[in-house]
Parts: sequence; C-alpha cells; structure tokens
Amino acid sequence: MEIKTEIDGNIAVVLLSGRLEAVTSSSVETALTKEISGGHARIVLDMRHVSYVSSAGLRVVLAAAKKCGSAGGGIAIFGLQPGVHEVFSISGFGKIIPIAENYADARVKLPT
Amino acid sequence: MAKTLTLADEIVILMLDDETGNIKPDFRPVARVAIAAGALMELALIGRVDSDLQSLFAVNPQPVGDIFLDEILDVIAGDQNKHPSAWWVDHLSRADKDLVAQVRSRLVDAGALLEERRSDQFFYMGRAYVPSSGEAKGEVKARMMSILFKDEVPDSRDILLLGLVHSTGALSAILSNDEMEKAKPRIEDLTALEDIGRAVEAVAGQARDSATSLMKALYR
Repeated sequence: MEIKTEIDGNIAVVLLSGRLEAVTSSSVETALTKEISGGHARIVLDMRHVSYVSSAGLRVVLAAAKKCGSAGGGIAIFGLQPGVHEVFSISGFGKIIPIAENYADARVKLPT
Repeated sequence: MAKTLTLADEIVILMLDDETGNIKPDFRPVARVAIAAGALMELALIGRVDSDLQSLFAVNPQPVGDIFLDEILDVIAGDQNKHPSAWWVDHLSRADKDLVAQVRSRLVDAGALLEERRSDQFFYMGRAYVPSSGEAKGEVKARMMSILFKDEVPDSRDILLLGLVHSTGALSAILSNDEMEKAKPRIEDLTALEDIGRAVEAVAGQARDSATSLMKALYR
C-alpha cells in the first residue's frame, strides 16, 4: 500500500493506493495517527486508487475517524471504486463517515 | 479481575443466570452462535483473521496464546476453501464440544465467576457459577449505553460487542423499552458496520427460528 500526504490549509489529504486490508492496515493507521497527533485532525482520504477494502481496512478508517473526532476534527472519504463502494454501502459506513464523489465535495462534507 | 475478557467471555456473562450460572432459557438457542461469533470477532480484532463480502480467512496463523481462540484459528487456517463469515459462525457454533462450559471455565480462571458446590442437607446438587462481582456485567452495560447514546464515533470492539448483545436479544435486558425505541436507528446503523456482526445477526435469527419451529412441533 502506498501512502502519500498533502496538506491543504488545515486539512491533511491522505492518498492511498493499493489494497486496504489486515496486512496493510497498520501502515495506514500509523500514517493517519501521525497526521492527527501532528495537529491535522481534519483529514480527507483520497481512495481513488484503492482497489480492495476488507473489514480490517474499514476498522482502520473508523479508528482514525474516532481519533479525529476526539481531537475536534473529522474524516471524509472520496473516490471509491465500484467494488470498494459496495463494501462501504453494505456496511452503511456513510452514516458514520461522510463519503463524497470528489475532493471538493469531501471538503464540504468534512466535519468542522 | 485478573484477565481481560474476550468478547465471547463478555457475551456469556450477559447470558448467564446469576443464580445458577446456566445460560438463561431465552438465550439457549443462540448461546453457541454468540460464542463462536465472539471468538471470530476477537481473532479479527487481534489481526489473526480478516473478512470481506465473500469470505473470512486467516491472515496470520500464529497462535495467540489462548487455547480457546487458537483452536478456532487452527481450524480456519487449515481450511483451504473460501467461506463467508456467516458460514464460519454457523460451522463453529456446531463444534462437537461444550462451548458454554469452555467459556464458563475461562471466566472462573479470569476471576469473573466463582464456582460453588451446591448441596442440600444430604445430597450434592452440583456446581453453580455465580459472578464474583457485578463488575463485568456492569462494564458491558456501561459500554452499551455509551455507544448508543453518545454522539461519537464508536470503536470497533464496542461495535462488535453491540452486534453480539443485539443478536442474542440481551440488549433488552440492558435497555428499557423507551431506551430501546430511542436507540433503534443507531443500533441498526452500528450493527451493520461489521461483517461478522451482520453474520451473527443472520445466524442467530436462523437458530432462534429453528428452536421456535422445534418447540411448535413438540407441543402440537
């Protein structure tokens, strides 16, 4: 899994590429925790290049959302591929974490 | 308490009759299902198994040092076929062993239950298992109230525990009817989040339906 972070004002945009699953989730967790503890509690996850998400992958996103919320921010996601979108849809993740079509929409949906 | 309780331990504590240490009649059809699902959830939380919409699979077959969990991990790691989470919950719940006794013995070891010999004036009446304190049950209740009524993103362990508590029907022993009604949308949202949570809901429903059909047939 490739992880890149860009800073846009007070938002950390984390770009993920590859498969988000048990094996890769710890590196994603580390990257997200680093951003939150570094003062970026508002995070947008760019998932356009994520081809697969397992239950362990969903848990990492949820854990990061909890940490962001506790730090006074939040998380929004955009760019879900169809197979990944199905996973998010069946689990009803969108009721807990905002899911957007694109970055601009994700910024708007990001909890303030 | 000396040891941290697993999800399987916690759900058994909720299903036990505090007087006798036996599973309460209402929970008997689903007790094994809940224990099997609780073990799978625990293995998922410690990164030994993972799942998706198609299957549940071992990602790390290394033993965790808990005999109960390691036996289950061994079975999953040794299976070459792909099976969804619901299949595993059902399959493990039908294991040829007394899952309730196994977890009850873990709870005695953990200090959450006390084993008492019961006898009347003349005869030994058997053993009873009573809570060492209300601590374990009280903690589960507090976590359920918090997850349902605080507007915060919950953590995965509590979401999974909610799935177990809801699928067994034990939530009605924790919440009043009003609270249950108020929490209904949040319960639906949270229990859908986890794959094994959805699986236990489905398998417990089937187990309850089978038990009801059997009772109807017996008393027809």
